[in-house]
Amino acid sequence: MITQLVNWFRRKKLEAGLERELRYHLDRRITDLESSGLPTGEARRQALLELGGIAQIEEEVRDVWLSRWLRDFTYDLRLSTRSFLRMPSFSITAVLSLVLGIGATTAIYSLVDQVLLHALPVRQPERLVLIDWHGDQVANGFGSWNLMSYPICRDLDKQKQFFEGVFCRALTTVNLSTGGDYRPAAAEIVSNNYFQVLGVGPVLGRVLTNDDDGTPNANPVAVLSYDFWETQLGRAPDVVGRKVLVNRHPLTIIGVAASTFKGIDVGVVPSIWIPASMSAQAIPGFSDLLDRRTRWMQVLGRLNQGVKVQEAEAALQPWFKAMLQEDMRRAGFPVITPERRREFLNSSLVLAAAPQGHSSLRRRLLEPLWVLFAVTALLLGLACLNVSGLFLARGSARDREIGTRLALGASRGRLARQLLAESLLIAFVGGLLGIAVAPVAVRTLIAFLPPGTAPTALHVGVDSRLLLFAFLASIAAGLLSGLAPAWQAGRRSLMSSLRERGGTAFGGVRLRKIIVTAQIALTLTLVVGAALFLRTLDALMAKGPGFITSSLVSFGIDSQRSGYSPAEGNRLIRRIDEAIRQSPITEASAIAQFALLTGGSWNDPMTILADTRIVTNRDVNLNSVTPGFFQTLGIKIIEGRNFDERDAPAPGEKGWRSAIVNEAFVKRYLGGRSPLGLRICEGSGPDAKPNIEIVGVMSDFSYRGLREDSEQAYFPFFEGEEAGGTFYVRVRGRPQSFLPSLREIVHSADPTLPMTDFRTVDEQVDRSLNSEHMLATLSGSFSALALLLSLVGLYGVMSFVVTQRTREIGIRLALGATRRSAIWLVLRDALAMILSGIGIGLPFVWALGRLVESQLYEVKPSDPIVIALTILVLCSAGLGAALIPAHRASCVNPTDALRVE
Amino acid sequence: MLILQIVSLEPLHGYGIAQRVDQISRSVVQVNQGSLYPALHRLELKGWLKAEWKESETGREAKFYSLTASGRKQLAAEKHSWARLADAVRLIFDEGAR
Repeated sequence: MITQLVNWFRRKKLEAGLERELRYHLDRRITDLESSGLPTGEARRQALLELGGIAQIEEEVRDVWLSRWLRDFTYDLRLSTRSFLRMPSFSITAVLSLVLGIGATTAIYSLVDQVLLHALPVRQPERLVLIDWHGDQVANGFGSWNLMSYPICRDLDKQKQFFEGVFCRALTTVNLSTGGDYRPAAAEIVSNNYFQVLGVGPVLGRVLTNDDDGTPNANPVAVLSYDFWETQLGRAPDVVGRKVLVNRHPLTIIGVAASTFKGIDVGVVPSIWIPASMSAQAIPGFSDLLDRRTRWMQVLGRLNQGVKVQEAEAALQPWFKAMLQEDMRRAGFPVITPERRREFLNSSLVLAAAPQGHSSLRRRLLEPLWVLFAVTALLLGLACLNVSGLFLARGSARDREIGTRLALGASRGRLARQLLAESLLIAFVGGLLGIAVAPVAVRTLIAFLPPGTAPTALHVGVDSRLLLFAFLASIAAGLLSGLAPAWQAGRRSLMSSLRERGGTAFGGVRLRKIIVTAQIALTLTLVVGAALFLRTLDALMAKGPGFITSSLVSFGIDSQRSGYSPAEGNRLIRRIDEAIRQSPITEASAIAQFALLTGGSWNDPMTILADTRIVTNRDVNLNSVTPGFFQTLGIKIIEGRNFDERDAPAPGEKGWRSAIVNEAFVKRYLGGRSPLGLRICEGSGPDAKPNIEIVGVMSDFSYRGLREDSEQAYFPFFEGEEAGGTFYVRVRGRPQSFLPSLREIVHSADPTLPMTDFRTVDEQVDRSLNSEHMLATLSGSFSALALLLSLVGLYGVMSFVVTQRTREIGIRLALGATRRSAIWLVLRDALAMILSGIGIGLPFVWALGRLVESQLYEVKPSDPIVIALTILVLCSAGLGAALIPAHRASCVNPTDALRVE
Repeated sequence: MLILQIVSLEPLHGYGIAQRVDQISRSVVQVNQGSLYPALHRLELKGWLKAEWKESETGREAKFYSLTASGRKQLAAEKHSWARLADAVRLIFDEGAR
């Protein structure tokens, strides 16, 4: 088989060899016969006779070289290539349709593969599991998802009958300096066994190991990522042993990790790995490393060879239950209600295979990417149908050729194969060009991803997996688009095709109509999908964040990362706030401890002391803000008052005196009655002491994101321990022009203080709508392409029908039919296709609706207006496309039409 | 098998093989000279024969076929199985004669 393929490439040489070999045979035979007395002519005749037909021998030998089907296939390909070159416009249209389909699908697949499917570049990633706590941990926490405490990770690491090792990690941002300026950098805080369990080695120096000292604050070392080493340190060979400053604490570099390894979180490339024992330095103010009730790290483990996820999960439970009992008896375990205690004891450990690591980007993009992938797959299907239609159209033009070949004895299978070879050839050319445009498309797509994504986290290049995908997509496309024409060729009756005059095959038309109907059905699905996403985006934009964003700028400062103590830091940032307010460029300025519209928040359940004690049944979103906050953002105080000097704590007093809650809070927990004077506090246990007075009610606005309508309670930001926060500044005029002046003000307070996330709030709103933008834009453009493709298909079929029925229409007109009825004749045909396409498409719309429901906002997948509008657009566009051939039909001159034949 | 046997004695070109077949089989087996070449190429593809261009006895270049190691093995195997078949047949005839 392989040799045969090789033979194809050296067939010239083989041919020449065979020719020489046979000539030699013939010449020797002739010489021999001559010497036995025959005359030259007679000897030649005799020799040729003995040998048999030379051409036939050559054929047989060629069959040995390349087996029969392979030779036929190469002939088919050659024939197809020639016929395509003869019809460039046809070929270009077909190839372009497929390039569009394959290119788009491949580009989206590239992201699907990298973000959703690709296993980590570590040893045997299939043995990695994510370990999570299902139930109430009775713990405080910070971070994203799947969080547990550091001590639990250490306990799990000891369960050696299941795990080769269990490590934990947490992502954070540190102020990092290699000698020059401090810059915010992504850092991963990891347990000492992180690299060992993953199986990742160093390119330089060494990585952290179990032999490193795990005692808190004892091991001031760090491992750099290859990315950071390359981009920030110019791959300096002498970096091991040097010191870096993390939040002003010196750490010694012990090594640089392997170049392929970018952490376990797709989308974030850490600059530095810091041992968990140094977490107090990496996270200013953090001292709960050894606290079992502080959840902040993701815990992942490597199962022993041969241990199944479910087995390990089931077998771990007894140990886990015993640990829960032990935890309850520990000193410092919080006082909780019996109900909560039950929930705590009912907790279980959940193990999930995690060959791709843990990624919040993946979590965010999981659904949008699959939806887009489905959309592009539909688009590819549509492109295939278009090519199918084109082939059928050409097939009817080639009727004569095919009829003749059938008459000469070609088998139907052979003809069908020929047609399949043609479509495969087109598909491969389309696939190759698709691969060529894919990197450009991927780059465009990456621009749509959440802006926090590290630029080096994803690559735009074409790798072997992508090539394989594009190859399979091309084969599928080739087969799909060749199927209908091949089937048509196999069905054609020889008699009828020879009898027909000038290529009028009606079977082809029926098939083409079916194809157009299918295209309309697919297009309906895509257009409805796009309309839903557009309405979602529109609804969210119309809703807005609930405050005035124009001329509003925000940036973050965390003074503790620059070495300030909490009290000093608090004074520093309030001083900066004051300076900004004094500046002539600003209208108003305020600090919020937590930034708005980032997807995150500070949240906790609360206890309200009204007539009875009310415990909120879900988390309340909390924040603390300076008194200028509401005025700066244009948020109304509906009832009561704003924070003022009365709310400032007395010297030495801890905690807040007052709070402002939002309308949603009042509505949900107090049934709309005035909350002023009621007392609340954080926490839901029996030991919670509601001692904070509600002094005001603010109008609702978005905190975590535009979609969420949450209950919120805000505390005053005065002198105290809060040493960082996000500044909101309303400037007089265009915000961009004032960024340097704001930078200048911060710089004069402390020149080394880095400002993070410096941007306008409008920009922040856009960022928070990132996946909605992506879905609306991409599905919108894909469905526009789909609409275009199916209109072209419809137009093609209708013009063909009109050409075929010219005679009939001419006769009708001659017999007194009006032009209008001729137009109607054609439009009726088109309308039938469009309507049946819509009928077939509606169930698909329903299925798609279920897929995307969670991505929508204030619009149902079965929204009648959206569907009605889409149908209207499809019908009018379809009829528009059919109107051109219809108009031509009405212009038929009866005498000309009758004279055609 | 016939071709393999002939070539096993000495490397030969196509024409030589055809003549040898003629000689050996006399008129018992009529081998069409034309079908010789596809057979030779098939054996070459299977790796039992190898071919090289050499000067022939008349001084012209000709394609000489010779047996490869795996060809030799194949020939032995075929001889063996043929011998077993022949033995079996003879046994049947001997039984019948007694």
